[in-house]
Amino acid sequence: MKKMRGRLSTVHPVPSVGPQAPTAISVSEVTKKFRLDDGRELTALEGMSLELTTGSFVALLGPSGCGKSTILRLVASLEVPSKGVVAINGQPPAELAASHRLGVAFQDHALLPWLDVRANVELPFRVAGQAVDRRRVQDLIDLVGLAGFESARPKQLSGGMRQRVAIARALVLQPEVLLLDEPFGALDAVTRRQMNIELQRIWSERRITTLLVTHAVDEALFLADRVIVMSGRPGRVVRTLDVPFARPRQPDVMRSSEFHRLSDELTDALDSPSGSLG
Amino acid sequence: MRKIRSERAVSILLGITGIGLFLALWETIGQFRLLGLSWPPITDVLAFLQDPSRWPLFSRALGATLEALVLGYIIGLFAGVLTAMAAYLLPPFKPGLDRTSAFIHAVPSIALAPLLIIFLGRNSTPSALAALSTFFVLYVATSSGLASTERQWDDLLRVLGASRLVRFRRLNFPAALPTIASGMRLAAPASLIGVIVGEWFGAPRGIGVLIINAMQNFQIPLLWSAVLLTVLVSLMLFGALGFFHTLMAERFR
Ligand SMILES: Nc1ncnc2c1ncn2[C@@H]1O[C@H](COP(=O)(O)OP(=O)(O)OP(=O)(O)O)[C@@H](O)[C@H]1O
Ligand SMILES: [Mg+2]
Repeated sequence: MKKMRGRLSTVHPVPSVGPQAPTAISVSEVTKKFRLDDGRELTALEGMSLELTTGSFVALLGPSGCGKSTILRLVASLEVPSKGVVAINGQPPAELAASHRLGVAFQDHALLPWLDVRANVELPFRVAGQAVDRRRVQDLIDLVGLAGFESARPKQLSGGMRQRVAIARALVLQPEVLLLDEPFGALDAVTRRQMNIELQRIWSERRITTLLVTHAVDEALFLADRVIVMSGRPGRVVRTLDVPFARPRQPDVMRSSEFHRLSDELTDALDSPSGSLG
Repeated sequence: MRKIRSERAVSILLGITGIGLFLALWETIGQFRLLGLSWPPITDVLAFLQDPSRWPLFSRALGATLEALVLGYIIGLFAGVLTAMAAYLLPPFKPGLDRTSAFIHAVPSIALAPLLIIFLGRNSTPSALAALSTFFVLYVATSSGLASTERQWDDLLRVLGASRLVRFRRLNFPAALPTIASGMRLAAPASLIGVIVGEWFGAPRGIGVLIINAMQNFQIPLLWSAVLLTVLVSLMLFGALGFFHTLMAERFR
């Protein structure tokens, strides 16, 4: 682990992020409606606005079905807003994907079943038509704790292992923007904590603009610069919290009284009438 | 696991019992001449097949049939898969190609055979009919396999910035392979029928020729032997391609 840590950080120098960092992702006044099979319309998001400065880490919290994945899909250019605008660095989001600078870990991991773990992690290189950086692939597989499983096929892995492969795959091309949809949802508490610590470490080395969807309040607080709490459907922002802990964060911040206080605050925001299941 | 295995044992046992009953029925009908002289007991047919002096006749016929089958099947396979790929990658042409292949399928091979004899000659007609029926099955199988790619994978490849061609190569095509293999299995018996029908219309040799000649000359044991050989070839091909399909499904799903 130690050796690898050095490798990953020497390849990518830490960019310095000033307080006046430019906007990387902007979601402004976005409404998203879906047409259901029976012809009815479902409003998943309404007047949703969100801004991420370059190099910031934002976590989205909210009840199930409030439109968190929909926001990520809008930013990933997999959906188009019914109203409003989504932009990345002032450009339409499709441009980032087309230039292979977007990393996404989906809620359902989406590993290709005919490829083994290594080939799944290598896939972004092949799609981008770049030479596979074998060492980076191996480093990431080690990092997510799957050394020894390189030749295993997805169906031979547990749900949590598949999610970890998906995270390695999302990181492998050194993306400019990282979108994580409940990436640790299927993990046990201990592994989840380890993954949080690793993700925090990688992120601190190379501040990738990151949007994380999670259900876990402590995960959001430990990882993010800013936590956004959404209401039940149609999703709107009900609370924004700037996380005060300095970086790099050690796991023991999670035991501080400040952490507990903020955690209670966020839980209350989730429980409040406007934030509860609608 | 044990349950699955015992279920399988039961189904194999039932299958064997079924075949056994069928053969026993055949034998009884034949022995007692229940359906007249044209239904010989199976033991007579087997004895006829076992006579070494007839082997050159059978092996020549079988060789010609298999040669025509393999040629027609491979042409139909490639034509079907490639046409379906073209239809998938060039959406404006898809409706036209769909309709053309359905039309080809709708024309009965019996009606087509005389025309093919005129255009292609007696030697090529069996292969051509085999190719036509294989083409249609593979066109349909490949098209449906390519169209049924799961959305989550498509999303992934889009997010990675894959062009349509790259998505095809990395995702749609491998995901369609089990369905294509299943089409290959279904096409084999149809293809064999195509060859035999083609041979009826006057190929120089082949199992189909044997069947026609035996029928016209009322050589009942020869007729039944030729039919039995056809069934065996068909079952063997179906079995082998079924195994291939299982492998592909295991590998690509
Ligand atoms: N393609 C679609 N067609 C129709 N409705 C959709 C579609 N995608 C999402 N929805 C609806 O939009 C709403 C928001 O869905 P979304 O997946 O964004 O929720 P979520 O906040 O990610 O929930 P969870 O925490 O359970 O993952 C849901 O009510 C869902 O049914
Ligand atoms: Mg979701």
